[in-house]
Amino acid sequence: MDLQKKLEILSAAAKYDVSCSSSGSNRKNTKGGLGNAASCGICHSWSDDGRCISLLKILLSNYCIYDCAYCVNRASNDVPRAAFTPQEVANLTINFYRRNYIEGLFLSSAVTKNPNHTMELMYESIRLLRQDFKFNGYIHVKVIPGADFSLIEAVGKLADRISVNIELPSEKGLKLLAPQKDKQSIIRPMNFISSKIDERKEERKVFKSAPLFVPGGQSTQLIVGATQDHDINILRLSENLYKKYKLKRVYYSAYVPVSKNPLLPDLKTPPLLREHRLYQADWLLRFYGFSANELLDEHNPNFDTKLDPKANWAVNNISLFPVEVNRAEYEMLLRVPGIGVRSAKKIIMARKVKSLSFDDLKKLGVVLKRARFFITCNGKYFFNHDMDQFLIKQNLINGWEANDWEIIGKNQEWEQISIFSLIPEKPTLQDRIMSITGEI
Amino acid sequence: MVNYYYDGTFDGLLTSVYESYYGIALPDRVFRTKNIQQSIWDKNIDIVTDSEKASKVYEAICKKISYDALRNAYHAYLSELDDIDTYILKYLRFGFKMGKSVDLYLTSEEVLKVHSAAKKVRTESHLLLGLLRFKKLKGDIYYAPYSPVHNITFLISGHFVRRLSDQFWVIHDTKRSLAAVYNKVECVFTDLPTELQYQSATTDDEFESLWKKYFNSICIKDRVNPKLQKHNMPARYWKYLVEKQ
Repeated sequence: MDLQKKLEILSAAAKYDVSCSSSGSNRKNTKGGLGNAASCGICHSWSDDGRCISLLKILLSNYCIYDCAYCVNRASNDVPRAAFTPQEVANLTINFYRRNYIEGLFLSSAVTKNPNHTMELMYESIRLLRQDFKFNGYIHVKVIPGADFSLIEAVGKLADRISVNIELPSEKGLKLLAPQKDKQSIIRPMNFISSKIDERKEERKVFKSAPLFVPGGQSTQLIVGATQDHDINILRLSENLYKKYKLKRVYYSAYVPVSKNPLLPDLKTPPLLREHRLYQADWLLRFYGFSANELLDEHNPNFDTKLDPKANWAVNNISLFPVEVNRAEYEMLLRVPGIGVRSAKKIIMARKVKSLSFDDLKKLGVVLKRARFFITCNGKYFFNHDMDQFLIKQNLINGWEANDWEIIGKNQEWEQISIFSLIPEKPTLQDRIMSITGEI
Repeated sequence: MVNYYYDGTFDGLLTSVYESYYGIALPDRVFRTKNIQQSIWDKNIDIVTDSEKASKVYEAICKKISYDALRNAYHAYLSELDDIDTYILKYLRFGFKMGKSVDLYLTSEEVLKVHSAAKKVRTESHLLLGLLRFKKLKGDIYYAPYSPVHNITFLISGHFVRRLSDQFWVIHDTKRSLAAVYNKVECVFTDLPTELQYQSATTDDEFESLWKKYFNSICIKDRVNPKLQKHNMPARYWKYLVEKQ
């Protein structure tokens, strides 16, 4: 089989792996070597689905001995199969890298023969790159659950980031859909990696030249919508992973129907809005100081489809508002819907030299569309009604000013909504904007 | 109205700042010579670039305002936006008055304009670190033509010096006829002989077709979202993108 065909098969097989970030590592180039890592990460292209392409994301092989129901590469699925040699992987990576197509390599694999055999081949590919080709660009390796820890450690010494996929949010789901995997075989390597990272960090405090161990940290991914789990279970799981194993990222992947298995839900389209809500909430956990239990509880175990998680929280905690922008703490500013990290920082800076009015906020580029319901500027409240929970909620959902309607009207997909009608799963105007910027 | 005309170099702009304090008149507007739009009522002053005056201003900015302010002014200068030179001058003069707190006055017009221009330049620089495409030509020269909105070649070349340190490469801004040429030792800026452009059009690079294949097969068809793609990767950059041809 020629290289082009292999690349086609093995990249198509890898496309459901969400992670493509190249951040967190600042590996330097070496003398006579090729490449370095940029700690901010660099996107090199965006595919037609709008997702960023930063790394050459491929499977080493898609011959799989497992038969997980949700996976395209399951043994019982009739798809073309192929396998790269480590040489081919290194060759592609180097040549793409020299042309600035990519930031590095994301190497995953189906389980061929057994986990150790697969992991050894993956190790050999990146050893070739690092040692023979003196490649110092970004490398992300997916750990195969069940592989020996010694192999994981060897890979970790060469890679910038490694990840173990959680796959499904609950053990029940795993038993049902991926009977050959179990929770322990996923959690144990995660625990091992995080303890190794800590160990190496301590070492590097003493010896600056101590070798690196996954400087970009570890991440994981789970599939949303293939099992019955509620959003709150998923979010609590993420929160634990961030706290306990200090994960850099948890990725959520809306389940794309790849199988007609009766154990799986019959979806027409992937649950993208739900995925989006989870990412919004994930951001709130990591950068906005929220906890999972503040956002959801047993009575409301799933996110509102019409309101983003932060606005939803604000409406439910309306007694904490309005917030005076000229005096509020940074942490509280961050909790105002519509004010993000960047806006909050700008407000803190600008108010040192001048007391801020609504017009000033506009100049700073703070989006007042949602914020106006929750803030005062020098005691003035912008929304000329009472702080009424339901009124604000309706306004957030439906828009308020006449020109909001115009924007909605321009887009044929959007119908005008009467205040008390229940809208089916359609994102609000704000969501459409945010799904573009990825910010809350 | 008093207009300053300078030669388009950053030193020239800094000399203008110097002259605004010690010259005949405070300018209302500052132009690079190429944008000539004179009116008979205007008083036009040509600024002669003086590297000594410029370096005095340069050092004064670092000492009396901040290094950040110098960086903002330089990046805004590279934006080449209309009227930006006028705002840079006002921003620096405001800076000499307020000291390092100048960057906190986010609501004043000159600070706002300079910050937003500088941000545009930095955003584009970062984007093009990813979107630049090299093509391998004869003699193992990697050639990357592009036409950025802002003049960012100076800003992005350092990244490639560090990253692609073991290969010959050329980054060519076709809009400004400016090239960064790297010979494995140092990077020099020059206008480019047309030879490379011609060679690039006539050579095939096998990895281009492999990259296109990859680009197409990595996309999840159930999630196609051209609007999001265009938002992240504006169509004005597609001309030089292998995968979009």
